[in-house]
Amino acid sequence: MFSANRRTLLRVAGLAALAGTLWTFPSTADAQEKIRIGYAISKTGPYAGGAGITTLPNYELWVKDVNAAGGIKLGDKKLPIEVVEYDDRSSSEEAVKAIERLANQDKVDFILSPWGTGLNLAVGPTLNRLGYPHLAVTSVTDKAPELAKRWSNATFWLGTSAQISEGLADLLGKLKSEGKIGANIAMVSIADQFGIELSAAGREAFKKHGFKLGYDKTYPMGTQDLQPLLKDAIASNPDAFIAFSYPPDTIALTEQAQLLKFNPKVFYVGVGTAFPLYKGKFAANSDGVMGIGGWNAESPQLKEYLARHKAATGKEPDRWASSITYASLQVLQQAIEKVGKLDRTAVAAEIRAGTFETIIGKVKLKDGLLQEVWNVGQWQNGEFYALAPTSLPGARAAVVPKPQWQ
Amino acid sequence: MTGPVRILLWCAGLALAACLVTYPLYANGYYLALGISVLYFTILATAWAMFSGPTRYISLATVAFFGLGAYTAAVLGETMPWPVVLLAAAGVGALTAAITGLSTLRLSGIYFVIFSFGLAELIRQLVIWYEVNIHKSVGRYLFSAVTQDVLYWQLLGLTAVVFLVGWMLGRSRYGLALRAIGADETAASHSGIDATRIKLGVFILSATFMAVTGAVMAPRWTYIDPAIAFNPTISFQVVIMALLGGAGSLFGPVLGVIPLVLLFEVLTATLPNHFSIVLGVIFVFIVMVLPNGVIGLFGAGRWRVPAGGPAAAPARAGDAPLLAVDGVSKSFSGLRAVDGVSFTVTPGEIIGIIGPNGSGKTTLLNTLSGALRPSSGTIRLGGIVLNGMRAHQIARLGLARTFQLVRVMPDLTVAENVAAARLFSTTNGSGATASELLDLVGLGKLQEAPASELTYIDQKRLELARALALQPRLVLLDEWLAGLNPSELETGIALIAKLRDRGLTIIMVEHVMDAIRALCSHCIVMNAGSVIARGAPEAVLSDPKVVAAYLGGDDA
Amino acid sequence: MLLVDIILPGLVLGGMYALIALGLTLQYGVARIMNLSYGESLVAAAFGAFSLYGGLGLSPLAALLLAVPVAMVLNWLLYRLLLERLMRRGKDRGAQEIDSILVTFGVLFVIQGAMLVAFGGQYYSYSYLSIPLTIMGSTLAVNRLVALLFAALVGGAVYLALTRTRIGTAVRAIAVDANAARLVGIDVAALSGLAFAFGGGLVAVGGVLISMFLTFNAAMGVVFTMKALVVVIMGGVGNVIGALVAGLLLGVVETAVARLVDPGLTLAATYALFLGVLVIKPTGLFGRAAS
Repeated sequence: MFSANRRTLLRVAGLAALAGTLWTFPSTADAQEKIRIGYAISKTGPYAGGAGITTLPNYELWVKDVNAAGGIKLGDKKLPIEVVEYDDRSSSEEAVKAIERLANQDKVDFILSPWGTGLNLAVGPTLNRLGYPHLAVTSVTDKAPELAKRWSNATFWLGTSAQISEGLADLLGKLKSEGKIGANIAMVSIADQFGIELSAAGREAFKKHGFKLGYDKTYPMGTQDLQPLLKDAIASNPDAFIAFSYPPDTIALTEQAQLLKFNPKVFYVGVGTAFPLYKGKFAANSDGVMGIGGWNAESPQLKEYLARHKAATGKEPDRWASSITYASLQVLQQAIEKVGKLDRTAVAAEIRAGTFETIIGKVKLKDGLLQEVWNVGQWQNGEFYALAPTSLPGARAAVVPKPQWQ
Repeated sequence: MTGPVRILLWCAGLALAACLVTYPLYANGYYLALGISVLYFTILATAWAMFSGPTRYISLATVAFFGLGAYTAAVLGETMPWPVVLLAAAGVGALTAAITGLSTLRLSGIYFVIFSFGLAELIRQLVIWYEVNIHKSVGRYLFSAVTQDVLYWQLLGLTAVVFLVGWMLGRSRYGLALRAIGADETAASHSGIDATRIKLGVFILSATFMAVTGAVMAPRWTYIDPAIAFNPTISFQVVIMALLGGAGSLFGPVLGVIPLVLLFEVLTATLPNHFSIVLGVIFVFIVMVLPNGVIGLFGAGRWRVPAGGPAAAPARAGDAPLLAVDGVSKSFSGLRAVDGVSFTVTPGEIIGIIGPNGSGKTTLLNTLSGALRPSSGTIRLGGIVLNGMRAHQIARLGLARTFQLVRVMPDLTVAENVAAARLFSTTNGSGATASELLDLVGLGKLQEAPASELTYIDQKRLELARALALQPRLVLLDEWLAGLNPSELETGIALIAKLRDRGLTIIMVEHVMDAIRALCSHCIVMNAGSVIARGAPEAVLSDPKVVAAYLGGDDA
Repeated sequence: MLLVDIILPGLVLGGMYALIALGLTLQYGVARIMNLSYGESLVAAAFGAFSLYGGLGLSPLAALLLAVPVAMVLNWLLYRLLLERLMRRGKDRGAQEIDSILVTFGVLFVIQGAMLVAFGGQYYSYSYLSIPLTIMGSTLAVNRLVALLFAALVGGAVYLALTRTRIGTAVRAIAVDANAARLVGIDVAALSGLAFAFGGGLVAVGGVLISMFLTFNAAMGVVFTMKALVVVIMGGVGNVIGALVAGLLLGVVETAVARLVDPGLTLAATYALFLGVLVIKPTGLFGRAAS
C-alpha cells in the first residue's frame, strides 16, 4: 500500500521518536541534594514578547541570586536550585502538557507559572489537581477573586482589570476636581479580553466620576495602522486620551500621536508603557505619558534590584510586573524555608497566609490576592513613577498637563 | 488468508484495542497527555484527509472548524448537558462548512489553499467582533470537572467513529466517486458524478468531525479566546501529518500523526531553545528526501469497487429525433465560436461533424455535453431541454462523450474508471456489465492495470468503455480516431460500427475522412462557427465550398 | 475633507502592503515557489536594519544598499541548494507548489529559530523619519510615505523590466509555461533562480523600510506572509501591477472601514474583500485563468 521509501521513513522516524521519548525519562535526582524547580515559558509565539521582558529574566535572576547565596534553606541545609525549563510555544495545549511533563517525568518540586492570563488559566486546573503552588503573577482578570477561591493553591499578584480602570478613573477624577482637566475622555481598547475588561470597567468608573466618553471604540489585534482611529479620537476634542493597548499598538499610538501633534492634557497608553523599550524609543518624549503599572522608584530596594537585573540579564526590568514577579519568588522561597520541608500543600497554604519581606515591601495576601498593586504610572524625568492608588506609600503626584511632544 | 493467521490478527487487534481503551488506567499524567495529543491530531488529520485526500484540495481551514467547536463548547458548556453541547458543535461546524464549502465550486489549486486560510482568519475576526460588540467579553471561561481520563475516552470514541465513517464512505459509491473527482473532475462530471454535491457533502462531514474535536478539547484549556481557539499552527500541523502519513488511505494520516507528535515532544523536551531550528531542518530534510515529492504521498488507496448498479433499459428505437439542436450559438466575449447551428439526429444513425481546425466543432460538442452553456438556441435530448443542465445531469440522461485530449482518471484502475460511470446510473433494466464492456473494447485482460500506464490507444478504448458504461442513448466522439495507425484505425472503425449495430446513436467529430465515409450516414460541415454544408459524406466532401474551407479559397 | 483623509492614508497603508507583497509576486508568480518563509525574511531584514541603525548609526536608506545584495545572495543560494531540486522533480505545477510550501514551511522554522536565538522573543522598535507631512489637510508620516514611494518606484521598475527587457520577457515566459519556455531555449533553472533571488532582494527592501515605523518581533513573520499572500493572490498571481493595485485597495478599504464603519471590523473587512474577489474572479483581479 505504501511505497518502500515512505515505509522506511516512517519506521525510522517512529523508532527515533520512541527512543527519544523513553530517553527523556527523568533523571532520578536525589531530592535531598537539590531543589528542582521547573517552568514552561513562552520563548516562541505571540507571548514571547511579554514573557521575555517580564517573566523569564526574573526567573533567571532569582535562581542566580538564590544560588549565589547558597540555595534555599531546608532545615539546617541550604539546597541549590536546579532548573528544568521548557518552551510552551504560546499554546495552551503545550503549556498543559509541559506541566504534566514537569510533574510526572521530571518530578520537579515546584513549578513556576507561565506568562499571561490565557496560559495561567489553562494550567490552573492541572496545577490545582497536582497540588503545586500556583503563583499566577502575569494574570490580570476580573475573575481573579473567584479563581483564588476555586483553586486554593493559586495566588494572584496583579489585581483585577477593574482595579486598574478604577484606579485610573479615581486619579482622573481627582485631577478633574482640582481643575486640571476637563470632563471629556476619548477611549480606545484592543479587542482582546484584557482590553475589553479594562474598557468595560473604565466605562462604569468614568461615568461615576462624571466624565463623558466622547469617543469609545475597539480595534482588532494586529491592526497595523492606528491613524484613522486616532484622528477620529482627536476630532472628539478630549481632555484625556486613554488607550487600553498592547505593546505594538502602544508604541504605534504614541508615534502617531506625535506625528499628528496630538497633545491632550492626559495621554495614557496601556501595556508596554512600563517597558524599558518605551523609554528607549521615545526618550524625552516619553515624559508625561501615563500607563499601566508604575513603581516606587525611590525605594532603595527597588533601585538595587534594578541594578542587579541590569547586570545579570543585560536589560532593565519593566516597571509593572517585573518587580512583582521577583517579589513573588521571594515569597515562594521564604514560604519553603518557613515550612522547612518540600511539602507543597503546606507551602501553598503558607504563601496565602504568611507575611513576607520583599523588594516591593511587606507582602501579605488577602484571599490569595496581592493588595498593594500600582495601577497607574507616569514617565517623569526618565523613570516610570507610580501615581495610583494614591493611598499607597510612595505614590507620586501626576504631572498634568503632559508636556508637548518635541 | 488462512484460518490461524486470521485468528492471530484478530487477537492482536483485540489486544491493541484493549490496551488503548485501558490506557488511562496505567499511564501517568504525562503519557496520558501525550495520548490525548496523538488522538486529537489523529481525528483532525483523518477528517482532513477524508476531504482533501481524494479531491487534492489542500485545506487550511481545519482550525476554523476546530475553533468554532471549541467556542461552541465554551459558550454552552456550563449551561447545557454535554451531549447537547457536542451536537451543537457538530451543527455549527456543518452549517459553516455548508456555507463556505460552496467556494470549492469556483476555486482550485493554490487559490483554494489560500482561500481556506483566509476563511479561518475571517471567521476568527468575526467571532472577535461578535464577542467584543455583542457579548462584551472576549474570553470564555469553561470550568468543568472533566478529567484527563474522560477526555481521553471521548477522543478515543471519536477516533473510532471517524474511522468507521471513513471506512463506510470508502466502501460506498461515494468513495470511488471522490477518487474519480480527484483524478479528473471533468471526466467524472461527464460520467454522471455530481462533483459539486459530493465535494460539498464530504467537506461538511470532515468539518463536523473537526468541530466536535474542538468541543471535546475545550474544557482542557479552561479559558478560550479567539487566539487560543483559532491557532493557525494547528491547520499546518494537520496538513503535514496527514500528507506525510498518506492522505490517500484511511489509516495513512494516523501513521503520520504518531511519529510527528512524538518528534515534537522529543524536540520540545530536549532542545527547548533550538526547537524551531531543528524542527525546520527535519521538515526540509523529509521533503527533500522523498523521491516523488509530497504529492507522490497521496498514493492510490485500495478501495473495493462497489458492485455494479442496476443495468439499463434497452434503447428505444423510433423515428422521433433523439437529438434536436436548434439555432445554438456560443460566444466568448466577442468571439462567436458557434454561430446558429441547427441539426437533428435520429436514433440509430451516425452523424459526422467535420470542418477545418478552429471551426467550432469541439465547442459545439461541449455545449451538447453540458461542459459549456450555449449563449442562445435550444438543445433537446428525447424531448427534454438540455440548456442549463450540468454535465453530470446530462450524462445521467443518457448522453456520453469522449474528449479530444483523452481524459482517463490516472490513479484509478481500468475497472474503476468504468465503475465510476456506473455509480449514479439512473437507468434500470438489462445491459452490459463493466467486464463485458471492457471485453468489447479490447481491454478485458487489463482490468486491474492503473489507467495511467495504458498506451494511448488503450486509454482511448478505456474512455469509450467508460462512456458506454453510462448506458447512453447518444455518444459524442471527439476525434476518437485521431493518432491511430492504419491497423488500429481499422479496428476502431469496426468497433464504432458494432456500437451502431447494437442500437447506439453516435455523433463523431473527425478529420479521418475514410472513417467518415465508412460510418456516417449524414454529415455536417462547419467553418468559422456555422454550418456551411450538410448531406451524405460523398456529396459533402466534393462540395466546392467545403474544399475551399479546408484548403483555402485560392488553392481550391 | 474626510474623503481625502481616508484615501491618502489608505494609499499610504496600501503602499506598505504592496511593498511587502512585491517580492512574493516574483517568487511565487514567476519562480513558482510558494514561499511560506517569506515573512521571516522580511522580519530578518527588519532586524538587520535595526542592528545597523543601533550599532553603526546607519540610516535604513543606506542600509538598503547592504541589505538588498545580501538578501539576493542568500535567496539565490536557497534556491540553488534546495528549491531547484524540487522544481526539477515535480511532475506538474500542483506537485511543485505543494512541495515548495512544505519545504519553505521548514525554512520558516529555521529562520525564525535563528532570530529567536539571536534576538529573543521581545519587541524591537526604532524611529526614523518619523516626521509629519501635511498633504491636502491630511497628516502623514514621512517614513510611511517613503514606503509608498518605494512601492510605486520599485513596482514600476519591476514591471518595466518584466515587459520591456529580453530577460524580463523570458522570465514571464517561464511563469506562463516553464516547459514551453525550455523548448524555445530559455534557461529556466537559471532565470527562475534569478527571479527568486530578485524577489528576495525586494523582501529586504520591504523589511528595511517598514522597520522604520513598525514594532516587530521574531514571531511576526507569519502575519506578513499571509498579508503578502493575500495581496498577491488578490491581484492575480505573477502580476506586478495587480499586486500594487490589490495592496493599495486593501489599504484604502481598511482605512475606510476604520473611519466609516467600525475599527473593530477592519481585518474582517479585508479578509472578506479578499474572499469576495476570489469568489467573483477566482484567479484574482488581473489574473489569467489557469490552463
